[in-house]
Amino acid sequence: MFKKEAHMAHSAQGSETIIAQGVKVEGDFSSDGNVLIDGEVVGSIKTAQNLQIGQTARIHASVTAATALIAGEILGDLEATERLELTATSKVRGNITTAVLSVEPGAEINGTITMSGPESSKRGGRRASTEEYSEEQVG
Amino acid sequence: MYCYLYDDYIQENKRFEKELLKIENRLTDLGIAGKISRLALFRNAEEMIRDEIDRGVETVVVVGNDETVRKTINVLSDTNVVLGIIPIGPNNELAKKLGMPEGVLACDVLSARRVEEIDVGTINGRKFITGIRIPDFKAELMADDGKFRITATSKSSLEIRNLQEDSDPTDGILHAVIQSQVREQKLFGRMITTQSILPFTSLAIRADKPFSLLADGLVMEGTRFDIGIEPKTLKIITGKERMFQA
Repeated sequence: MFKKEAHMAHSAQGSETIIAQGVKVEGDFSSDGNVLIDGEVVGSIKTAQNLQIGQTARIHASVTAATALIAGEILGDLEATERLELTATSKVRGNITTAVLSVEPGAEINGTITMSGPESSKRGGRRASTEEYSEEQVG
Repeated sequence: MYCYLYDDYIQENKRFEKELLKIENRLTDLGIAGKISRLALFRNAEEMIRDEIDRGVETVVVVGNDETVRKTINVLSDTNVVLGIIPIGPNNELAKKLGMPEGVLACDVLSARRVEEIDVGTINGRKFITGIRIPDFKAELMADDGKFRITATSKSSLEIRNLQEDSDPTDGILHAVIQSQVREQKLFGRMITTQSILPFTSLAIRADKPFSLLADGLVMEGTRFDIGIEPKTLKIITGKERMFQA
């Protein structure tokens, strides 16, 4: 399902970055466009638009994007300023900050979750403790 | 004012004689005949073109192939002179992408004079139009002033694309495309080809040992290549059947 969505996104967008399986990126990677990662990244990832991390991706990096759809593994903090979707195959070991969060049953989260949307900001933000999610599958 | 640049392989090969005669007659009929300059082994093409530009030539038409075009772009880019192509013989991939039919048929397309401004890539100071290719990519790409580097973790090839079927040579961006052979991550997974795409405006390819690449078909060898883009610096005549997006 994720793969289908990802391919549809490719054809719709012109200048986007694709890091496929078989390729490794090391360092501070930043982009103004959409980014799709199925390969390896070590360092940091920053995009002003959409980020998709596929099932085969291995990310050892802090990640920042406007919206993010995660199906692979992330070791590092994850910030999606607008929306974050974690699919059933996703594994996140790091702190999450986002405005809107969607988690499929089976997703693994180890870290704190901070909701930073406009509504929650008014209330000073909602925060889930590590204990609530640590070493536990959501769903 | 038109100047027609005949490559030496056309003059030496008798099988092109009839076609050249047809071309010259058609150009006269269309009212776009001009001076004919003939390339030869010890004649510097760039000097010849510079002399013609100084004499007021506004359009240089290459009568030859990709290699003939390559001899002209260092001089023609960043000028107001328009480049046209009459493709003759083999090795005419660029003309095909520009929608220029072979031989005498190209004369009518030249006459229609549909001029587009396209980007020109640079590699260690040399210019290229179509792109760069490394069939066996074992080097590393350094991008964003060295902030990050990209390597292939499996057998891969690299292409830097400017003017290709699926790219836009007027967008001011080059694309690095890495094709990798990887095994599917499942039980009894088969080998598949994946494709990574990185849009960029400047990039370096480097390796510890010398490696070779093809820039517009020209072989270059070294341990470091700096690649960049000069947006919309070449005026070129294209046909309706051109293959690139813009």
